[in-house]
Amino acid sequence: MASVIEGKQFMGFCKRLWFVLIFGLVCWGIQGHRDISWASPFDSRQNAATLEVDVVGHELIQTARLDEDSAKTSVPEEKAASKEEKPTEDPEDSEDWPEDELSEDSLFPDPLEPMNRAFFEFNDAAYFWFFKPVSEGYSVVMPEVLRVSIRNFFTNLSMPIRLVSSLLQGKIKSVGMILVRFVVNSSAGFLGFQDVAKQALDYPIQDEDLGQVFAFYGIGPGFYLNLPFLGASSLRDTAGWVGGLYLNPLDYILEDWWSNLGARAFDMTNKTSLRIGEYEALKDASLDPYVAMRNAYFQYRLNQIEK
Amino acid sequence: MEKHRIWPYLRSLFGGVLLILMFAAPCFAGVPTDGIKETTDRILAVVSDPALKGPENKKKRGLLIRKAVDERFNWEAMTKRSLARHWRKRTEAEKKEFVALFGKLLERTYLDKVGSYSGEKVIYVGETIDGRYGTVTAKILTHSQTEVEVRYRLKELNGDWRVYDISVEGVSLVNNYRKQFSSIILRSSYDELVKKLRAKVAEKD
Repeated sequence: MASVIEGKQFMGFCKRLWFVLIFGLVCWGIQGHRDISWASPFDSRQNAATLEVDVVGHELIQTARLDEDSAKTSVPEEKAASKEEKPTEDPEDSEDWPEDELSEDSLFPDPLEPMNRAFFEFNDAAYFWFFKPVSEGYSVVMPEVLRVSIRNFFTNLSMPIRLVSSLLQGKIKSVGMILVRFVVNSSAGFLGFQDVAKQALDYPIQDEDLGQVFAFYGIGPGFYLNLPFLGASSLRDTAGWVGGLYLNPLDYILEDWWSNLGARAFDMTNKTSLRIGEYEALKDASLDPYVAMRNAYFQYRLNQIEK
Repeated sequence: MEKHRIWPYLRSLFGGVLLILMFAAPCFAGVPTDGIKETTDRILAVVSDPALKGPENKKKRGLLIRKAVDERFNWEAMTKRSLARHWRKRTEAEKKEFVALFGKLLERTYLDKVGSYSGEKVIYVGETIDGRYGTVTAKILTHSQTEVEVRYRLKELNGDWRVYDISVEGVSLVNNYRKQFSSIILRSSYDELVKKLRAKVAEKD
């Protein structure tokens, strides 16, 4: 095959493709599905008539606040009623209603839901029909110890992404840990195959990426995206992912198109083989796997950002 | 006259000490962690008991684990928080049915997780108590060398600390179900949700 394309071209191609794809998706989504609900549960309430109007963020919040107020005022009656029936019931429990619903719905809308759902189905099929059997076959051949080592190697290699991300967030302690980890693991850990820094120094891996940097500077997630092959993401985190491509040394080491692609596929198969069962568990436990995944992603990222 | 002035101070001091003692006592004991630990150890004992190994003992194993879990988890509080504002609109019978169904689903999910146990280490790293609410943080070290942070949220009820939410890597189970429930109710109805839940529970029994 006459296809010795330079690796830089691979990167360039990837980035251009994703930018075009994301831009296209957003335009298509906004054009085609303007009237699709903003995934807000508020309009099921009686006094949320204002939501009939095209919803803008602050309006949504205002309505929600109104709702909360009305919910609060209605609690005492409820309490009194339930006390008559069940005096043993804990009166405090009725005040336990979670209050984080509001923040999520206004922060993490899902305007492209039909498209996301389609890609979710696609990823689901791709996982069960292709990625899972391939990684299962792979894990039969490769013992787990080796697979963990290979994962460690690729993780060690992608150090620049974490380094730059923590630098940009001014996390000095993390920066130090990342540098020490890289030096120790690359030397004593045989090019990163062994995570010596974790075992000997108890320096855990610092999970930082450019998406978290954007969040650090106050950029919200935008909206939810479920991308083919890449899975759950948001507009902000997809941008961070694309930026991360520039920082991954893999693209500078393997410049040849096919070997680059091969290394990526190998890394992905290896990672998947260590995580078989996670997606199945989520799917098994949920009533609407799509919503479960979206919410899990939102919470997971929030947790990462706060760290 | 001078003597009388000292009493308010003494009283407040005494009260302060009493208050500190009252609030500090449970902190030292680490009751929530002990509870979680006890339940986890009980489950792990069942899972790693050679006498209970094999597929023919699956039912027995399930029963023992279920008992341990039932004593630690507050299914009703979990359901309440998951249904959130939809809970209030339900009749008593509906509430009861939903708690039973949802409890079963959660239990099964938990059983499946425990069933795939293969020697992971559990380390208890922290505990907080705020009045009647508490959290217990544990780290699970899987055999593929990844650390998973699990946080239990507990509430004290008649001297008993019961779990009402579990977060894995910051993903709260109750929050996740709440989203699913509200999304399904919004799209269809409560009856549809119960139907779905029933089908889900029946799927594996």
